[in-house]
Amino acid sequence: MAAFVFLASDFFFIFLLIVTVNSNENSTSSYFNSTAWDDLNFTSGTTFVASTESTVLSSTTRTSSGTEPPPLPAEPLPVSGRLPTPVTAVDTLCPCDEHTDACDISCCCDADCQQEVALFTSCSVTDVSDSRQLCSRGVASYALRTRIDGFSELLTSIKKETNYDLFCIHSYNRVDGLSLPPPALPTDRNFQTLFQRFSSFMFGAQSSDQELPAQVQSSPGYQFGDVLRTADESGQGGVFYLPAAGITAACVDKSPAAFLKDQQSRCSRRVILETDCSSLPALSMDSYSNILLLNGKNQDAAVVPVDVSSVVLRSTEGTQSELTVGAGEDLRPVLLSTGVCARVALKVVYVIRYNAAGEVVNAAVSVVLGFIRGASVLLEQEFQATFVQDGGELALRLSGNPGYVVGRPLLSGTKTAEGISRSTELRDALSLLHSSAEQDCLRGPHRRSPVLFGVNAVSGCTLRLDDAANCSLVLQQLLDVLRGPNYPQYVASFGNSPLNKQLDWVSIQSSFSPVEDQSCSLPLSLHLEIEWTKYGSLENPQAQIVSIREIIQTNSSSLPLLSGGGGSLPVRSSVAFVPVSADALPGYRATPTIDAKLPFNFFFPFV
Amino acid sequence: MAFYEVYSHPAVIRYKTSVCTKATLFLVVVLCLTYIPPLLVAYRSQGFWLKRSTYEEQPVVRFQYQTLMVAATGTQGDYVAWSTFPHLNNMLGPNLRIPAVSVKEEDLNKDGKLDLLTFQLQLPLKNNEQVYSVQLLLTFSYQLFRMSTVVMQSLAFVQLASPVPGAKLFISGDLRLQQRTPLPHRGLYNIYNVSVIDGSSPFASAYDLENIVRSYQARNLTTVLSCPMPVWTVGPAAGSPFELNVEIRYPVEVITYRPGFWETIKFAWIQYVSILLIFIWVFERVQRFVFQNQVLTTVSIPVGKPHLS
Repeated sequence: MAAFVFLASDFFFIFLLIVTVNSNENSTSSYFNSTAWDDLNFTSGTTFVASTESTVLSSTTRTSSGTEPPPLPAEPLPVSGRLPTPVTAVDTLCPCDEHTDACDISCCCDADCQQEVALFTSCSVTDVSDSRQLCSRGVASYALRTRIDGFSELLTSIKKETNYDLFCIHSYNRVDGLSLPPPALPTDRNFQTLFQRFSSFMFGAQSSDQELPAQVQSSPGYQFGDVLRTADESGQGGVFYLPAAGITAACVDKSPAAFLKDQQSRCSRRVILETDCSSLPALSMDSYSNILLLNGKNQDAAVVPVDVSSVVLRSTEGTQSELTVGAGEDLRPVLLSTGVCARVALKVVYVIRYNAAGEVVNAAVSVVLGFIRGASVLLEQEFQATFVQDGGELALRLSGNPGYVVGRPLLSGTKTAEGISRSTELRDALSLLHSSAEQDCLRGPHRRSPVLFGVNAVSGCTLRLDDAANCSLVLQQLLDVLRGPNYPQYVASFGNSPLNKQLDWVSIQSSFSPVEDQSCSLPLSLHLEIEWTKYGSLENPQAQIVSIREIIQTNSSSLPLLSGGGGSLPVRSSVAFVPVSADALPGYRATPTIDAKLPFNFFFPFV
Repeated sequence: MAFYEVYSHPAVIRYKTSVCTKATLFLVVVLCLTYIPPLLVAYRSQGFWLKRSTYEEQPVVRFQYQTLMVAATGTQGDYVAWSTFPHLNNMLGPNLRIPAVSVKEEDLNKDGKLDLLTFQLQLPLKNNEQVYSVQLLLTFSYQLFRMSTVVMQSLAFVQLASPVPGAKLFISGDLRLQQRTPLPHRGLYNIYNVSVIDGSSPFASAYDLENIVRSYQARNLTTVLSCPMPVWTVGPAAGSPFELNVEIRYPVEVITYRPGFWETIKFAWIQYVSILLIFIWVFERVQRFVFQNQVLTTVSIPVGKPHLS
């Protein structure tokens, strides 16, 4: 560090020597004569000044002493780079002006000596300048000239001197650099651009009457995501709404249905039976079936009425029976005397057929009607909209092509003479018991959830020991509850296994055979173990089900012993997916190589 | 008369040999052992290639003036809601309750970047209504400039439920950046410059909070409102509006990024050379021993022998 300082000072010394030689040519001798001003006490007048370039800014005979503020520049100041020239104000400085509002003798820069200047013989201060260390400084010179009449006349000149010293100080004292730039005045011409520039985000930026984005009107039919339109009797166009859960679980009635977007939603609404049962339109089937759809977006689109394809009546116990709908039959909700509201729409399913041009061909609705009871009740409704292309079959849904996709239900069926028969309904597929509020295995309608590929699940119910007295009856009931009403025999090994190829279907192995003996052994758990493997290429392996096994555990000891005196036993229903894929093998025999490789990221940034 | 060292200087002794000798072979082996093992040592001791690094920056955050507010006004599932999205407001029907909202964004340290958002919402209540829970969603425009230019739209979500009705909720928190993967070290990163909520959609599913949060949390770069201490002022707000005061600060973030090529090389070079110096020193001593003691035969040319050949 010390060496560096030495070196720097050496260099500086040499530099000064060169500078001194140069400056002898044009240096002015008097830089700062005033002793009152000379608080920076330099030993030599010439050493620190490299060269002086004089620029006469103004040379006037003084007439007034008023100082004007520096004018604001019209152009904005530069953000970076060289500093602008500082404002020179040396003409306002006067070191010999000792008396305010009175003229000091021989003080040429004193603004009060307007008349007395004529009597001066010499100036006590001839040069006033800024500090010598500044790179650019102003110098005000005062001199006297004798006029013909013998009086003196003051000559004032202000020069700007540039100091080329290596260590000079750049001063910056412009007032306009210390304040915000003057704002651009908005006029009717530049208002829009100013508005765009300064108003990025604000309330009310979205206009409230937003139209749907204008589509290309080339095709008369709907496009994906378009809102389906309806026609009223009055001819007023409307929108086909399908209630859905919005930001809460409550039903939002004004949510439109989008073309080709299959929707399924479950939402709840609070119903006060006394007032709402017959008057709330959301409970009535008519409000879902009395809809006239427009088959296209155009003004002259044809009207497609929504047909009622089926009406199912759900009893209070949960059993369902189909109603034959006669013409003119009143299916509106009605408040029964027992405080029950009958024929309330619980589930509404629309099936809308469209053709290749995107026009709605026909629309059908099936409704489930049911009962609700209680003075104020939270009613859950289910809404569904499915779009089917005209000529296509309704929803023979596959679960993968070819391998199963995680999250899709397993395809299952039963064996018939022609091959495998499979129900299109999801509830007939291989399913698990779904827990209910009742919790009792032998009572009430049981909900079931389909077995989804790759999703392990467990659920269950409880068996009360009081009910287990009649062993053989309970055994059969429990088996039915655990297996479900339509227990299939076969499961497709691929997500798209054709029904006529029986070899593509895997039978469900079961080792359970009910034994009739003295000790009552009941099934306490049903576990489905599904083994699957990856099939095909390494790049895009397909999931294939290899085997499916049903494991039913029965009790070996007596039931009261198992329950520990609790009076009830848990019964479990579960499914597990076990991957049994073998490690991938190379398809051909390769010659052995020496495996002496560098780690994979050894040359990381290069390759 | 004691002697002292006036001056010293090293003397060079040259050892010469021809190409096909043991000494040449030795030299090649020593060179390989000097320069390659430091690379292996540096690599095997982990951290040779710099994979991620961090920097600090205060983001440029602007409140986008998009708001969604849901308040439960009863224990039976009654609610009121309001948003700045006209389609949603139309859908809400009787549940729409328009509050009085005031927003200001401040630059506290006058550095040109906003530091604090103050959001005040006064929700008018009917006489039989009390607020049990509040969900509030605000969207922000979030920008970073120092390394890569990041432009994204993000959200802050506040959710608080209480078994007792409240008169006020005060929330003061930081809008923190959450990264799942490091950012690139340069370039424009604007894949998340998309609306968090599709305000032009007429469908109810577009405003479902579950859908919004699910798609938002799937992103690699999100912001989250970290508010460890929300203040729920218990008290009946009979007649008077429910007050929701939110202060969100935009703090300086430590951002992880993937260093560029030259930064990676620089740190690798530092590690390599520092280990190499030790190897050079060791093998220098080995070579000196071998040649000085003539373990391998070479022709040595001592100092001061003038004008050989």
